[in-house]
Amino acid sequence: MSATISPLLRLQGITKRFGFVTALDDVSLDLNAGEIHTLLGENGAGKSTLIKILGGIYQPDQGEVWLDQNLISLRSVADADRLKIRLIHQELSLAPNLSIAENIFLGREPVRYGILQRRQMKRQAEKLIAQLGLSEIEDVTAIVVDLSTAQQQLVEIARALSQAARVLILDEPTSSLSDVEVDALFNTLRRLRAQGVGIIYISHRMEEITRLSDRITVLRDGKAVGTAKTDEVDTSTLIQWMVGRDIQEHFPRPPYRPGGVALQVCQLTSPFVHDISFEVRYGEVLGLSGLIGAGRTELARALFGIDHVRSGTILIDGKPTQIHNPREALNQGLVLVPEDRKQQGLVQDQSVAFNIALPWLKDWIKGCVFHYQIRNAIVERTVKRFGIRLAGNEQPIRDLSGGNQQKVLVGRWMEKPPKILILDEPTRGIDVGAREDMYRIIGDLVEQGMALILISSDLDEVLNISHKVGTFRAGRLTGIYEAQNVSAEQIMQQLTGGEEIESC
Amino acid sequence: MKVVKQMVPLLVAIVILLLLFRIWVPTFLSPENMLNLTQQISVNTILALGMTLVILIGGIDLSVGAMVALVGTTTVYCLTSLSGESQNLFLVLISLLAGLGVAAVFGTFHGLAASKTAMPPFIITLASMLIARGCALRFNGGLPMPIDEHQTFLLAIGNGRLFDVIPIPVVIMLTLFLLMSLLLHRTRFGQHVYALGGNREAALYTGIPIVRVEILVYLLCSLMAGIAGMIHTSQLYSAEPGSGEMFELTAIAAVVVGGTSFTGGRGTMFGTLIGAVIIGILDKGLNQAGIHYSLQYIVKGAVILFAVYLDVRRNR
Repeated sequence: MSATISPLLRLQGITKRFGFVTALDDVSLDLNAGEIHTLLGENGAGKSTLIKILGGIYQPDQGEVWLDQNLISLRSVADADRLKIRLIHQELSLAPNLSIAENIFLGREPVRYGILQRRQMKRQAEKLIAQLGLSEIEDVTAIVVDLSTAQQQLVEIARALSQAARVLILDEPTSSLSDVEVDALFNTLRRLRAQGVGIIYISHRMEEITRLSDRITVLRDGKAVGTAKTDEVDTSTLIQWMVGRDIQEHFPRPPYRPGGVALQVCQLTSPFVHDISFEVRYGEVLGLSGLIGAGRTELARALFGIDHVRSGTILIDGKPTQIHNPREALNQGLVLVPEDRKQQGLVQDQSVAFNIALPWLKDWIKGCVFHYQIRNAIVERTVKRFGIRLAGNEQPIRDLSGGNQQKVLVGRWMEKPPKILILDEPTRGIDVGAREDMYRIIGDLVEQGMALILISSDLDEVLNISHKVGTFRAGRLTGIYEAQNVSAEQIMQQLTGGEEIESC
Repeated sequence: MKVVKQMVPLLVAIVILLLLFRIWVPTFLSPENMLNLTQQISVNTILALGMTLVILIGGIDLSVGAMVALVGTTTVYCLTSLSGESQNLFLVLISLLAGLGVAAVFGTFHGLAASKTAMPPFIITLASMLIARGCALRFNGGLPMPIDEHQTFLLAIGNGRLFDVIPIPVVIMLTLFLLMSLLLHRTRFGQHVYALGGNREAALYTGIPIVRVEILVYLLCSLMAGIAGMIHTSQLYSAEPGSGEMFELTAIAAVVVGGTSFTGGRGTMFGTLIGAVIIGILDKGLNQAGIHYSLQYIVKGAVILFAVYLDVRRNR
């Protein structure tokens, strides 16, 4: 108990059960004022439950929370609010139709005689943005829906900090930020740390954690496995704590045995990308790197027939092809697994089996006859091949973890493997174990000779998994590099504004 | 069997309602009264079957009531101007097809407008409700057009009885119910409907032809309205340009009471049938019990609220 400085926040023996499942088992944790303390753990390790207890959303079955050496009870969100414990959720909770300023003051708008004080609101919002150093945000009257995801995340953070915070909790705030934007956020967090705020930070990204945090606590299966000072622990120890086993290789690059050209794109222009030329060979991974909105996803959408192609040619197996909609793309052997599992990927109301078998209705519904044995065979093959963990075929897909949902999204196409597979942010928001699995899957597919395009905001991932890396900036492909001959710094420079390099 | 299990509360509700009205109206459960009930719900049920598809994909069709009137007037107008005094079955068929053709044009338009533009289906079908109503009023100066008594086929659609027992509208209703159930629960199209209603983007990325599906859904809804319109016209013995008002709302009520999610993606044809039966029993029961019509509205509104509340709570 006796430390030289008494902690700002102390969690003691927190236990939380949901039915028969113990989400948190006797977890203790200290947070000092002016400290950034990272919570690390796979999905389902208990991180979210823990921060929801701090946010007053869940109540612990056992254990105590102390703030400034006072025992506190967090029975509601209002309690946490009063004690200046601010929680920033992983998922954005902004009103998209309102302006930045309106969002920041949502629920406590300044009024006089019942009249909204718009000018005051704008002034205060601007002051706040300036204080936080969020230079990405220029105009506080801009409507949130027009902002990039990264900017929206910054607004979310600004809202949490618009009232004084003693404890700030961020749940994977960088999952949709590019590296430049992450830097901006980190600077803000460091400034808050200097002001004495205690920060609990949750992330999957090892590199960020070691860069940012002072201490790290690892959770596994609801238990705190260990706490260490960041500069006294190495990455492999942390991973070992997290998964309970030793993982040697982070990013296993598939062996490079390129075949013929699978996809060739020449001077492709859509409303969002301009003059894109490149090629991908069978057995090759082409990584695409760029800031959010730089054109990576937009290129994928154009290739897949969602965005209109204005000019340029697409050749598959050397034959010129016209693709007007996803159906035609699929018929040509081109599959796109979209970036947003929830919005674009899965029918959340339906079962695992429904979602896996959805692309193959022709194979198991003949006229008015449902051939369930064919469907179940498809589902079981996919589940087995990709090690998807589930309770049963008819389990609602929403109950699966992010990693398993992602495996469903990728795996269902392998019933009839496509020639070309585009994966857009395949490892966003999934835990280390599932991420390893995804890399293994990518490796297997490439070894079988598939042509793969990997879109990712994680520079380490792109550089280490891909054979070649393309960089996007402002809707243009600014260069293609041999992944082994280029450094992260060189790529970074390309993304943020180096000289352009012609290719194709 | 999950579907049947979900329907248990509604089936219980039907039994309770029937017994309740039996107390007020001693003859309520007599076979003849029950047959009448099925006949009276047939038009609404057929409308609701089509509406179920539309609501399942997250849309709405406000035009079905006006479509009932327009198809009725079109059919009777064709029939009267073509055939005169005597009945010619070929000309009857032509007239019926003309009526359904008009419905098909509207339905296709709804589907095209909803899938190809950003206009909300509520507005699209609100506009075409007005247009269809206006078109119906163009015939015969907006006055009712009686069906000639020689037109026994058309009159039988609404008033005849199969083997002198089962009303023809009920036969049509049950046939359409079976067909629509088959279509929704036993075809690829049905799976597409659920995928589209559950997550439109996901359906697009999976390669589902969403434009085609959406057009077909609205087309089917309008065709159902067309068939309902013929039955209704036949039952009235005349084509009334002003008929079918508020029918769309009763149909929507049957769909949501039957457990179909208003945001799309969840619901069944069987649920809709049950929903239509519940609303039909309420209508008939309150009427026969001699409840003042002002109170009938209030009771019906309360029942719809309660049913949907229970459904929403169960699905939380």
